Amino acid sequence: MFDKAVSYGLVRDFSVSETVDESQRWILSVMQKHGQELVTMLWRILGNDQDVCDAYQSTFLHLAHCQSGQKPRHVKAYIFRTASNVAVSMLRRRLVEKRGLSAAIAGGNSATAVPSVDAVQNRFPSPANEFDSKCLQDILRCYIARLPEHLKDVITLHDLAELPYAQVGRILGISAATARVYRCKAIQLLSVWMSKERQE
Amino acid sequence: MTTTGNSIFDFRSSIGNWKSSINAGPNKCRQIRARLYRFVNSSLGLDASWVQNHIANCPRCQQRLAAVGKVELALSLVKSQHHHLDLLMRANVQAVGVLKHSLRQAPKAQKLKKALPEPTLSEKLSKYKHSAANVAACFAILLLMKIGVFSSMDKFQSRSQEVFKQYYAKHIGQDLADEIFPA
Repeated sequence: MFDKAVSYGLVRDFSVSETVDESQRWILSVMQKHGQELVTMLWRILGNDQDVCDAYQSTFLHLAHCQSGQKPRHVKAYIFRTASNVAVSMLRRRLVEKRGLSAAIAGGNSATAVPSVDAVQNRFPSPANEFDSKCLQDILRCYIARLPEHLKDVITLHDLAELPYAQVGRILGISAATARVYRCKAIQLLSVWMSKERQE
Repeated sequence: MTTTGNSIFDFRSSIGNWKSSINAGPNKCRQIRARLYRFVNSSLGLDASWVQNHIANCPRCQQRLAAVGKVELALSLVKSQHHHLDLLMRANVQAVGVLKHSLRQAPKAQKLKKALPEPTLSEKLSKYKHSAANVAACFAILLLMKIGVFSSMDKFQSRSQEVFKQYYAKHIGQDLADEIFPA
């Protein structure tokens, strides 16, 4: 239900997209060149087909309307950062929506409650679910969405898009060494959060 | 502590070796950086013996290490789960669908609407990995055999020369034998 709502919302937000000029054929080339990598990264961040399609569409619409339709100087950097930001925003919105829905349902009829992130997290302390693949992935996504921006960017670009540190550094405008430090900090933070979750 | 002391000693001796090799060529910087990286990894990384010894006796560090391992496991699980084959195609269709009509009708757009994920070069070559390894092993065996045969031939030739030299020395004299078979 929410998938459809957000999907329609995105289409409505970008209803002005018909203004894309014909001279922007380079967008199709960019789509052809980086589409596969982008879809892989978005799939790893979101884990849902419809969300991936929405985030992908949103990324290319941002690209089409960037700098009054002019091609950005670093197209790859632009689309990867935009896609990462769009996907994480979508993930955060999903979490908030599901949390609100589960809270509302918990107040009313608990028998028909849909599985929320809290419900997923509540499954986590159980030793049987500790290494449940789906559960672990959901929790990781939930915590990646909570990371500070600079750490989240490095984790999504290096670990989920599998770009080398040098390239991540160029995309984010930092050195490769700084990217390594940020990645280390992000892993530490994620491990602390995940272990705290388990103890609770 | 002793291990750390040894590491420092190794580091000093390594620096000594580097000093002698610094002026040997202009591309030494890269080698030195690589050596330094290896040294730091082996001495200060999680695999270093003094770190492992500490972790073995410290429950808090064991928990921290386990938590980091869990994050790495979760990341690898996320990476190992592949999307549907037609996801790229569907994403392209949705993205192209909101562009201007002229762009939607472009031949490239039609091509994008039918695009399927293509395997990378390493994935394409992975099926030839075993064959390549077998061929390399065969070449290595052939090379070793060739080296073995030639070295045996050389040995056989030198031994036979010695035998003939001894024979001639016995029957016609040492001087003539030395003339016929010079050292």
